[in-house]
Amino acid sequence: MKVSSSATIQAPRDRVFAALVDPDVLRQSIPGCEELTPIGEDRYEARLKIGVAGLKGTYSGRAELREKHAPESFTLAFSGKGGSGFLQGAAAIRLADEDVATRVTCDADVQVGGLIAAVGSRLIEATARKLTDDFFRRLADQIASR
Amino acid sequence: MYPASFEYFRPSTIDEAVALLAQHGDDAKVLAGGHSLIPAMKLRLARPKVIIDIGRVANLNYIRDADGQIAIGAMTPHGEIEASAWLRERCPLLAETASHIGDVQVRNRGTIGGSLAHADPAADWPAAILALDAELEIAGPRGRRTVGAGKFFVDLLETTIRPDEILCEIRVRPTPRSVAYEKTEQKASGFALAGVAVVIPERDGAVCVAVTGVAAKPYRATAVERALAGHRILASDIIAAAAAHAADASDALGDIHASPEYRAHLAQVNTRRALTRAVARR
Amino acid sequence: MAETAPAPYVGRALKRVEDPRLIKGIGTYTDDLRLPGMLHAAILRSPHAHARVVRINVSAAQSITGVVSVLTGAEVNEHCGAVPCVADIADLRAPRHTVLAGDRVYFVGHPVAVVVATDPYVARDGAEAIDVEYDPLPAVANPEEALKDGSPLTHPDLGTNLAYTHTLTGGDVDEAFRRADRVIKQRIVHQRLTPMPIEPRGVVASYHVGEGTLTVWSSTQIPHLVRTLLPGMIKIAENKLRIVAPEVGGGFGAKLNLYPEEALCGHLAMRLGAPVKWVESRRENAASTIHGRDQIGDYEVAVRHDGTILGLKARTIADLGSYLQLLTPAIPTLTGLVLTGCYRIPAIRLDVLGVYTNKMSTDAYRGAGRPEATYLIERLMDIVAREVGVDRIEIRLKHFPEPTEFPFHTASDLKYDSGNYQGALSKARQLANWEALMTERAAARAAGRLLGVGVSTYVEICAMGPSKAMPAGGWEWGCVRIEMSGKVTVITGATPHGQGQETSFAQIVADRLGVPIEDIVVLHGDTNVAHYGRDTYGSRATAVGGSALVMCIDKIVAKAKRLAAHLLEAPLDRVTFANGRFSTAGNDRRLSWTEMASEAFVAKNLPAEFEPGLEASSFFEPENFTFPFGAHIAVVEIDRDTGLVHIKKYVAVDDCGPQINPLLVEGQVQGGIAHSIGQALFEQTVYDENGQLLTGEFMDYAIPRAGDIPEYILGSTVTPSPSNPLGIKGVGEAGTIGATPAIANAVIDALEPLGIKHLDLPLTPERIWRAMQRHAVEAV
Repeated sequence: MKVSSSATIQAPRDRVFAALVDPDVLRQSIPGCEELTPIGEDRYEARLKIGVAGLKGTYSGRAELREKHAPESFTLAFSGKGGSGFLQGAAAIRLADEDVATRVTCDADVQVGGLIAAVGSRLIEATARKLTDDFFRRLADQIASR
Repeated sequence: MYPASFEYFRPSTIDEAVALLAQHGDDAKVLAGGHSLIPAMKLRLARPKVIIDIGRVANLNYIRDADGQIAIGAMTPHGEIEASAWLRERCPLLAETASHIGDVQVRNRGTIGGSLAHADPAADWPAAILALDAELEIAGPRGRRTVGAGKFFVDLLETTIRPDEILCEIRVRPTPRSVAYEKTEQKASGFALAGVAVVIPERDGAVCVAVTGVAAKPYRATAVERALAGHRILASDIIAAAAAHAADASDALGDIHASPEYRAHLAQVNTRRALTRAVARR
Repeated sequence: MAETAPAPYVGRALKRVEDPRLIKGIGTYTDDLRLPGMLHAAILRSPHAHARVVRINVSAAQSITGVVSVLTGAEVNEHCGAVPCVADIADLRAPRHTVLAGDRVYFVGHPVAVVVATDPYVARDGAEAIDVEYDPLPAVANPEEALKDGSPLTHPDLGTNLAYTHTLTGGDVDEAFRRADRVIKQRIVHQRLTPMPIEPRGVVASYHVGEGTLTVWSSTQIPHLVRTLLPGMIKIAENKLRIVAPEVGGGFGAKLNLYPEEALCGHLAMRLGAPVKWVESRRENAASTIHGRDQIGDYEVAVRHDGTILGLKARTIADLGSYLQLLTPAIPTLTGLVLTGCYRIPAIRLDVLGVYTNKMSTDAYRGAGRPEATYLIERLMDIVAREVGVDRIEIRLKHFPEPTEFPFHTASDLKYDSGNYQGALSKARQLANWEALMTERAAARAAGRLLGVGVSTYVEICAMGPSKAMPAGGWEWGCVRIEMSGKVTVITGATPHGQGQETSFAQIVADRLGVPIEDIVVLHGDTNVAHYGRDTYGSRATAVGGSALVMCIDKIVAKAKRLAAHLLEAPLDRVTFANGRFSTAGNDRRLSWTEMASEAFVAKNLPAEFEPGLEASSFFEPENFTFPFGAHIAVVEIDRDTGLVHIKKYVAVDDCGPQINPLLVEGQVQGGIAHSIGQALFEQTVYDENGQLLTGEFMDYAIPRAGDIPEYILGSTVTPSPSNPLGIKGVGEAGTIGATPAIANAVIDALEPLGIKHLDLPLTPERIWRAMQRHAVEAV
């Protein structure tokens, strides 16, 4: 499933890029992120409790930042599994100057499997969009508060 | 089909139920008719540690007059709303909407409050609630508050009800004529691919058109409403032109049952059909 | 006593003796079974379509109170053989499918581990607590992609996703295509379907340690075949194994199989020394019980300008799924057998490519290869008719063999036993009021409405079958016993699971023995009771199983006549048997079965060389399959705005030969047509491109409901089959075979004014709407 979204963050590009690769900022921005622990250079172990309403599942897995080209782009590869299934994928993040602000676009290719795919497929795309929107909102808050 | 284990409470008053919610927080789910929650639990998609069954809470199942408004208790089953002759006379849109929900068994057990609180993007009630501009009364630890339908649905499966609150009552103004609900079913589940509720006011006032099933949350088709504004007689060409806007800016959902384009198209078709029927009932 | 013959039971629309217990909920299904000390099993299944199993950690599961055992492939597979496939396909490349996954999983739903616990809730808690580390591998879900170079391999050790190629030829196809005036081509896709029986699979296995015997209750269509095949999978001798099919809530071919879970439960019962029950959830059923159909093909028809069909070429890609269940690779080859349908088509060539993908296996599902054939040929007849400008009815009549030409040899080397296709079509048109329909259709088109009429004339091959053509015997066994009290016990090796043979066999026996039907009981489904059998599938039970009973009755009557001659002191050739009584001229005594049975068991006064008892058992070996046929007509109207199809009228004329019980025949036809409505209009098993199953529940897989079914107009013709003494042809699958093409042809006919020539199944509203968009034409 392909999920694309974008947002404008009121901060210059290099600050936004620095925030995006900062595990502290990521932990606070990723919806439902309970843990984000570095286990190597640009590699993290993560635990997320995500979903919608009462249908939340806890996923444990890995995230990795690759192809970092500051301050323009990087790729976030992730995989996680939980009781309700698994997910894996990669998101290509690109940053562009927009006056004094930064336009961040995220193009993700996500594979969802297991129980949620079998019984909840109609909600997956909408949930993914909602989660990415949440992510950008929280990211903007994080950047503004630093 | 065997849920994970849970603790079970069965309070007899709303205040008891609210207190239990406050006590157990995120671990608790309210059980109304069970026809959204229990399937999710059987699949282990939802695994609440605590179930608060409000099925025995007194005075939540009623359809009555409340100072000229129609008040419906949150625990009123869809089937009773469908069958109520009193209600059909005063607000037939509610009876008509109820008749589209699930099947007889679901309508015997599922409740209007439970359905609204769950806020499935393809449920039927949201269209009627929005089109009627209903008021929803919510009980919480700080007392009761009333929310307008326009502010009730927040996002996918999300309403304005806070984790420690319970929906108690739905109120609508009597709307005896010029209403219609037109729905296209998803063939397997019976949920709405596109459901459109229309309310044409008796005297002056704007037409209300609300759409469910198409987007992540139900919405008022304001572009349709604007296109109808100012026309006293809604002829078929005006209806058709207005209905073409039914999915403007709606970000329609897509899945294996219907693409976003087809959902948007169904929204237009059902808007036209609902308006036509509502006009015929004037 | 009056001597008038009672009205025969055969031919009467009797209500079924099975129904009261089923309707009252007092039948015993597998999940109703409760054995002392019984444990419950839950299976953990792969969420990945393809992955390496790196590590399985069961410690958390084992520590849950109530969990008795947690086992993975490492502990189980060494004790169990692989899942068998009995299809006889040349050069078949087959993976070895173990009971639990080994180091690799290759479809979503692949069993990985099993938890046995004291209750079903704890068993599932245990399954959830197992931690499996998977290393995902690329998966392939599209069979055409799977055949391309560079595609991920479902089984790397096979080196290819091509399981087999199978070719069926008859006549001179190359010559036919050389002589043709035109070659008409069409690509047709036959979607994958999920059988969805109302009762999912379930197994209870119990091992008697003292006797060394294993009993397996299973929601199965084939207890006898399971008894023969299970010893190849678990360490139990065939004669220490008892298989029982309790009430079965629908099979439709999905339970014509031997599944890993049956072997697993048998093994667990022996290993743990306690009875073990496993019942699948609906989602498990959707993911790991066999699927049906799934053929993609390119078809070519060689025709003359006047519509005469000279030959047919077909290249079909059959998506087998990821491994082979009992008959998986054979099903697409059955399509070739009746690909020429009701028609005189002298030359055919069918090439089938069986392909592995990372999905659940396909196998026999109501019709098993024949619905595919009928759909193909009936669509092609309509397409050819339109292309060459010949009427759809005329082109069919033109190619029908005459009733006098039967047995009719087909290019596929079958001998159709008997038929009267003209008669069925004529009756269907009469019931449908054909001329009025054509007028209505013309008027509707003039008014811009999308009204369509579709025809399907079909023939199918069933009553499996002559043993030479079957993998493990196609006979059927029966036994008829007159008890000492005069009551009658019938035992059949067929295994009805909804077909109603407890009633129809009693009708046959009641008539032939001249006993009241209430005195007859029909036993089946337990291998300790029905010692031999080939079970129920392929519309065979009455044709083959009923014929075995006829043989038994003939033997019993012959033996009883000898006893009667002795008791009446008359010569054998002067003994008459009529209306259940034995008598002779000049003697007032008319011996009843009760008197005869008493004499035969008490045995004080028996003729020489006469064994006590009045019982006979027989094997009936059919000399040919049978070939039911029929004509269906569907009238549909399509909503121009939404593409929704409404079936306005449905006529079915089916010929299954003489009807033992018209109520049962009607039930089968009605159910079969319902299946076809689902296939034609909305059913589809959906996997995404990564092999994730998206139609895992009834929320997403639509099956027909009562409101979807129109009032049928049903008729029949009766053309007996020479293949068995009852003359009957079988009817269990006919409705499913004949109806899908009638509906599809009607839909395409409705869309004709828009220039749409073909659409694949299912004909969902969106599919039709998009086609209408593409062919946008002003309404007349």
